[in-house]
Amino acid sequence: MKQPDAIVIGAGVVGSACALGLAKAGLKVVVLDRGPVSGGTTGAGEGNILVSDKEPGPELTLAIRSRNAWFEIADEIGAGFELEAKGGIVVARTQVGATALSHLAKRQQRAGVQAHELDRSALHQLEPYLDPSIDFGFHYPADAQCQPMLSAAQMLKALRSMGGEVITGAAVRAIHTKDSAISQVVTEKEKYSTEIVINATGTWAGEIAQMAGSYLPIAPRRGFILVSAPAPNLIRHKVYDADYVANVASDSTDLQSSAVVEGTKSGTILIGASRERVGFKSDFDVSILRILARQAISLFPILASVQLMRAYRGFRPFAPDHLPVIGEDGKIKGLWHAAGHEGAGIGLAPATAEIIVGQVLAREVFMDASPFSPRRFIQESAP
Amino acid sequence: MITVVGAGPAGLAAALSAANAGESVELIESGARLGGQYWRNLPNSIVVDQQALNHDFQSGKVLREKVQAHPNITVLLNTQVWRASHKEGISTLHTISGGTTREIRTNKLILATGAYDRTLPFPGWDIPGVMTPGGVQALLKGNNVKAGKKIVIAGTGPFLLPVATGLAKYGVDVVGLFEANRLRRWIWQLPALLSNISVIKEGASYLHALRKFKVRVQRGYAVVEAHSGSDGNLSAVTVARVKSDFSVIEGSQRKVACDVAAIGWGFTADLSLAGNLGLMQQVSLLDGGTYVVVDEHQGTSQVGIFAAGEITGIGGSKLSLAEGEIAGSAAAGSETNTSKKRKLAKFASALLRTYPVGPNWQSWLKPETTICRCEEVTLEIIEKSVLDLGATDSRTVKLFTRCGMGMCQGRICGRSVNDVVARISGKPASDADRVSSAARPIASPILLGELAQIPIVD
Amino acid sequence: MIFFFENNEIHAIAGQTVGSALLENNVRVLRRTRFEGAPRGMFCGIGVCFDCVVTINGVANQRACLVEVEEGMRVEGFQR
Repeated sequence: MKQPDAIVIGAGVVGSACALGLAKAGLKVVVLDRGPVSGGTTGAGEGNILVSDKEPGPELTLAIRSRNAWFEIADEIGAGFELEAKGGIVVARTQVGATALSHLAKRQQRAGVQAHELDRSALHQLEPYLDPSIDFGFHYPADAQCQPMLSAAQMLKALRSMGGEVITGAAVRAIHTKDSAISQVVTEKEKYSTEIVINATGTWAGEIAQMAGSYLPIAPRRGFILVSAPAPNLIRHKVYDADYVANVASDSTDLQSSAVVEGTKSGTILIGASRERVGFKSDFDVSILRILARQAISLFPILASVQLMRAYRGFRPFAPDHLPVIGEDGKIKGLWHAAGHEGAGIGLAPATAEIIVGQVLAREVFMDASPFSPRRFIQESAP
Repeated sequence: MITVVGAGPAGLAAALSAANAGESVELIESGARLGGQYWRNLPNSIVVDQQALNHDFQSGKVLREKVQAHPNITVLLNTQVWRASHKEGISTLHTISGGTTREIRTNKLILATGAYDRTLPFPGWDIPGVMTPGGVQALLKGNNVKAGKKIVIAGTGPFLLPVATGLAKYGVDVVGLFEANRLRRWIWQLPALLSNISVIKEGASYLHALRKFKVRVQRGYAVVEAHSGSDGNLSAVTVARVKSDFSVIEGSQRKVACDVAAIGWGFTADLSLAGNLGLMQQVSLLDGGTYVVVDEHQGTSQVGIFAAGEITGIGGSKLSLAEGEIAGSAAAGSETNTSKKRKLAKFASALLRTYPVGPNWQSWLKPETTICRCEEVTLEIIEKSVLDLGATDSRTVKLFTRCGMGMCQGRICGRSVNDVVARISGKPASDADRVSSAARPIASPILLGELAQIPIVD
Repeated sequence: MIFFFENNEIHAIAGQTVGSALLENNVRVLRRTRFEGAPRGMFCGIGVCFDCVVTINGVANQRACLVEVEEGMRVEGFQR
C-alpha cells in the first residue's frame, strides 16, 4: 500500500497550489482526480486574479496576499500560464452607484489596495471604446489575469519534478478514518495510507466531506461566459460594472447578472457574468446569453458588431456565507478543506495553499484564517 | 408543421416527401440557394451551361424546382440556425437571417446538415493555394470561377474524380490526380461495389474523360508537403508514394509545380446541431467518423427528431435522397419501403472500405506542422501539452493549447487532434472524446448585437 | 458591379462571393494570422474553416467564401 504524507483530492487550481506548497515543505504528496487536470471549475474559469471586487475583510486580505503570491509562483516555476498584471476598471453609471463605489474604493485603499479614481477623460484614455456616457470609475492596477488550466498544469509539473505524483482518472471511492482521524484513501486501483487529506474538489467538496464522515454545505452557482471571435486591441483591461460586487454577495436564488468584459492575450473577449442557483443544470439558456450580450454592449457599444464565437458554463462552488472554506474539518482530524471559493478560486488559490500548508505544519500563517474555518458549519451538520 | 434543416439532397427529398404526404413544411437553408454542396448551382446573374459542370445537374434542378413550387413548402434561404435545443418533444431552433433573429419551435424536425471535406494536416497545408476538392468545386459550380491555373488533386475517395474532370473540362491544367489508395482495394470490395452499376459507370466515365484531357491518375501517392514561392502563395507540392497504411516511402518524394492543391480525404459530418439537440452519436468502424444514430426510418434518439443524409453516415447523393424521402414520410406519420436505402447503404459502406485513411498518415507530420489552423497550434505544442503538462485526452489538450478554440471550433482539426493525441499519449481516443470534439453550444457565430436585439421578456 | 478590397476597385458579378471575385482578380491572400502573421486565403471554400475571414463594411470575421458581393462593399483583410 502506498503511504504518502498527504493526499490532495482535486487537480484543479486550488488542489495544485496546495499540493505544490506541501511538496515545497518537504512532504511526499499524491494528487488524485477522478477526471483530467483542470477538469472541474478550473477548466471553466476566466483566470481572474482580483482585489477590486472584494469588500475589506478576510477575503480581501486573502486576495491581496494571493495576488502577490501568484507572481512569486510564476517566478519560481518559470511561469507558462500567461500571467499578466492587466489591471481592472470598475465603472458606475448612476449617482448612487458612483457614491457606493467611491466608499468601497476608499475602504479598500485603507486595506492596502491601490485604487485610482477616474474621470471621464481618464476612463476613456484607458478604454477608448467604453460607452461615452460612462463618466466615473476606478482603476485597480493590481488586478491580474492568468490562464487557469495552464496554471494548474504548470504547478503540477513543478510538483512532479519534486517527486510528487499526479493520478488522473482516479475517483476516490472511500475515505477511511480511525478514531475520527483520517487513515486511508481508496481509489479503484489503489489504497493509500495517510493522515492528511486535502479536499480541494471545489463544487463537489460536500461529497468528499460526506465520504469522510463529515459535512460541508458547498453548492453550485452556475455561470455562463460568452467568448467573442478574435477582436484584438478593443478591450485592454477587465472592465465591470460596480453592481458586480453586490451580485456575488447576493443570497437570492434568482438570476444575478452584471456586465463584466475583458480582453485576453489571445485576442478574444470574454463576457460575463451570471449567477444562478439551478443545481448542476447543464443546458444553455439563450435568454441568459442574451442578457450578457446586452449588458456588454451597454458598456462597449462596439461589441454589437463583434461575433459571438462560443459560450461555455461552469459551476462555481459556494458556501452559504459566501466565504471560502479553508482549514481542518470540525469532526475529522487530518481532513483539511480548501474549497468553496465561488468565482474567485483562481485568484485565491496560492494564499489558500499558504494557509493550508501553514496549518498542516502548525506554523504561523500570514493572517487570522478562522473566518474560513470549516468548524463554522458544525452546528448545521446532520446528526 | 415539419421543419427541415438543410437543403442538400437529403433535405430536399425530405421536404418534398413530407409535403406530398400533405404536411406543411418549413425548409431552412443557411446558403443563398437550394442544393447544398452536391447540387451547387450558379446565381441567375451568371449564365453558363451548368450541365457541363455537373453530370447530375438536371435531376438536382428538377428537385429544386419542385420544392420551390410546392404549395406546402416554405423555403427560408440565408437562414442560419445558430443554436438548437430539445426538451420534452419540442425542438427549439434559434435562427438568424438578414440580421433578424427568430425562434422556431417544432415537434417534428428533420436534420439534414450534410458534410464537408475531411482534411489531414501536412507541412505547408496552411499556405494560400492549398484547398479542398469541395472548395474548388464550390468556386466552379457556384461562382463559375477557376481556383487556379495549375491544379493538383489529391487525397482519397471517389469525389476526386468529378472534381478533376470538371476542372479539366473547364480548361484548367489539372497537373495530376494523386489517389492514396490502390486499386487492389477495389478488388477486395468488388462484389459489394458491383451492386451499383450506375455509380461504377459514372466513375468509369470520369476516368475516361481524364484520359482524354491527359490528366495523369497515380495511385498509392499522397501530397506530403506544400511549398510557397516568394509571394507567399503555393508554388509546388511534394508528392510521395505511401504504403497502404499511409506511411511515407522514403526516397519516393518528388516536387510538382502548381498554384492550387485541392486535397480531400473523404468527408466529415456537420454535427453541430445534432450535438445541440442531444442526439445520440456513435463512431463508425468504417471510417472512424462520428455520425447520428438512426433507426430504420431515420428516427433519432430524441422524440420527434429525424436525421437524413451524410450526418447519418457518408453515403453519397443517392443514399441521401433515399434517406430524406424515408425521413419525410416518417415525420408525416407514414412508412416507406426502405429496401432501396439498405442496398445503397451497403454500397456506400463498401466504398468507404475502398478509400480508407490509413492509420499512419501522421508519418508525414513535422514538429512545426500546424495542426489547429485557427489558433496556429503546432504538433510540437500538442506534444508538449501531453508529455510535459500531463494532458491525457483531446479536451484537456484543447484547454492547454487552444486547439479547437478558434473560429472553426474544431470543425477542421477536431478529428486530427484526436488521432494525434492518441498517438502521442498511447491512449486511443474514446467515442466520448470524438463526440465532444464536435460539441458546439453556439453552432454558428452570431453578432453580439444580433443576439442582443430581442427584447428581454421579464 | 464594383466593390473595394483594401481601397482597390474590384469588378464582380452580382451573386458571386467576395472570395471568388477576389480570386478572379488574383487576390489569394486574404489575411495574416494574429500570432505568427502567416498569410491565409480560402481553404475549405464552403464556410467551415473560417480561414477566409475578412472585414466587410466595418464588421470583422466574415467569411469571404460565403458573403455575396454588393455594390460599393468595403472589404479589408483582417487587421486591427
